[in-house]
Amino acid sequence: MLNLVRNENMKIYCRIRTWVLVAMLILFCFLVSFISRYDKMSSGNPHREWRPELQQQAQSLQQQLSGDEKLPAPIHKQLQERLAITKYQLEHDIPPTEATMWGGVQRVSALVMMVTLFTVIAAADVVAAEFTWGTIKLLLIRPATRAKILLSKYISTMLFALFLLVVLFASSVLINGVIYSFSGWSAPSLTTDAGGAVKEGVLVFNVLAAYGLKVVELIMVVTLAFMISSVFRSSVLAVGLSLFLMLLSQPITMLLISLNPDVGKYFLFANTDLTPYLAGRPLAEGMTLGFSITVLAVYFIIFNALSWLVFTRRDVAA
Amino acid sequence: MNKFARDKERVEVNNEPVVQLRGVTKRIGFKTIIDRISFDVPRGEVFGLLGPNGAGKTTTIRMMVGLMSITEGEIIIEGRSIRTHFEQAIRRVGAIVENPEMYKFLSGYRNLVHFARMTPGVSEARIREVISLVGLENRIDEKVRTYSLGMRQRLGVAQALLHKPSLLILDEPTNGLDPAGIRELRDHLRRLAREEGISVIVSSHLLSEMELMCDRIAVMQTGKLIDVRHIGEFVKEEGAAKVLFEIEPGQLAEAERTIRAAAIEAQASPDPSVSGGLLVTVERERIADVNAALVSAGIRVSGIRPVTKSLEDKFLEITGRDSIA
Repeated sequence: MLNLVRNENMKIYCRIRTWVLVAMLILFCFLVSFISRYDKMSSGNPHREWRPELQQQAQSLQQQLSGDEKLPAPIHKQLQERLAITKYQLEHDIPPTEATMWGGVQRVSALVMMVTLFTVIAAADVVAAEFTWGTIKLLLIRPATRAKILLSKYISTMLFALFLLVVLFASSVLINGVIYSFSGWSAPSLTTDAGGAVKEGVLVFNVLAAYGLKVVELIMVVTLAFMISSVFRSSVLAVGLSLFLMLLSQPITMLLISLNPDVGKYFLFANTDLTPYLAGRPLAEGMTLGFSITVLAVYFIIFNALSWLVFTRRDVAA
Repeated sequence: MNKFARDKERVEVNNEPVVQLRGVTKRIGFKTIIDRISFDVPRGEVFGLLGPNGAGKTTTIRMMVGLMSITEGEIIIEGRSIRTHFEQAIRRVGAIVENPEMYKFLSGYRNLVHFARMTPGVSEARIREVISLVGLENRIDEKVRTYSLGMRQRLGVAQALLHKPSLLILDEPTNGLDPAGIRELRDHLRRLAREEGISVIVSSHLLSEMELMCDRIAVMQTGKLIDVRHIGEFVKEEGAAKVLFEIEPGQLAEAERTIRAAAIEAQASPDPSVSGGLLVTVERERIADVNAALVSAGIRVSGIRPVTKSLEDKFLEITGRDSIA
């Protein structure tokens, strides 16, 4: 089994295409980091003097809170929390996250979508290309069952995704570290507890959590592409269909939910984004974190069962 | 298992055929592609599957290596069913199904490493050994993309031999090879069968090739096994020998008359394809008498040669000429 995975890895990393994708990922990481930094500089604060900015912010929050207008309770609470954090930052000399390298790293985490895209390209090829190349005939006449070969392909695809995620994270830390001269390397993340008191956390964990949430979608889309690749033996269809669904997932989800939430909530992409649950705002009624995880698990099992059923049974005639 | 028991088992295995097909049938939908095929291939034999395109050679081979499922019947390789004990059965098989397609973006060596990893017990030394066996030492580290078809064929043979199989299956191995390449492959297969006791199954529609390569040939047509014979049986003449006398074209009629007049049981007729050729069917011992009669009648005989029926003639006789169903 280990040897099979090594083989699949060799077939991924010995292709020039793979390294073009890796280079593109680093390039995009570079561009996004610079653009977001440039944006900060052009917005009237060239030297990133965050103290006056925060003082101003604290003042306006104070005014809003002590204003004549009667604020709804939740908003009042939110403003109070923000004010507490701002004051804490000023007292303890903690720059706001956005002005640190971790803020840059967090912004770059949006590029996990590119990792998904590139892994889909790899997943689409991993089974279908063997058929296109004709190498499937030499691959399947070895003392390894088809199920093991398929599993090794799935594992190597997921390892490729992991590799790209590590590349993205490492290059974004490095690039943003240089851009922000590693300022705020050890800055804590600030949250408030139920009582309104400010708590310090580790910022890297926040960034990793942002990655983790996006990885849910990655796993589902890649598994979908892998399934299409092994069922239809067509890389083009696998890339096309899975990316189409991923890129249009939001409008499709909204449409389905608005037409019929009872059916729409079972749509795969209505459940891939788990952030609404963290904010306590589910997409539709009856949707909970547990519900979404169950739906995702069912899709995951169906996709993999389909790949397995078709791949292990089909005659290789081409 | 102790060593004695293992050796005993090996002896027993050695006595039975390397491959046994028992009533193998393949149906797709209602169409029967392969209809109850049975044959055995003993150790060290080069066995040919001969038939026109669409006869079912490739399907039969694909079922033997597990690329296609078997609808009915059984295929046993070294005593193990390919259906129920795929991993043990396929371990003894090396194969090239149709063209030897390799990973073009990998070097020849890496391709071999790839396939070596899939079978337990193939050492790096064995990979090197196989490379020199097929004579690819100089180009093995180059990408397969740069290989000629002949070199790819050699690499294909190399991957099939890596794990020291006892059965080598080659589907249309001479496709696209030049005459030198075909000859090389042929010599190679004969040597493997003779020296290493490997059984070889080759499929082809190139009849002349099979004649030179195989010990035994099975003729297939429209999914059925029509005939299995030793190569000698195919081309053996029944009864009288047929010989071609080469004489002066102007003397053909006179020669025919002479033979008819002579007290020899022989039939003579001019060969339409050779100028001055006279085809004579006669008992082998009487060929000299025919010649004597011709010479004494003043006919200048410049050559006498036997006309053997080629496998091709025989094949077309068996399968009929309108063979694609």
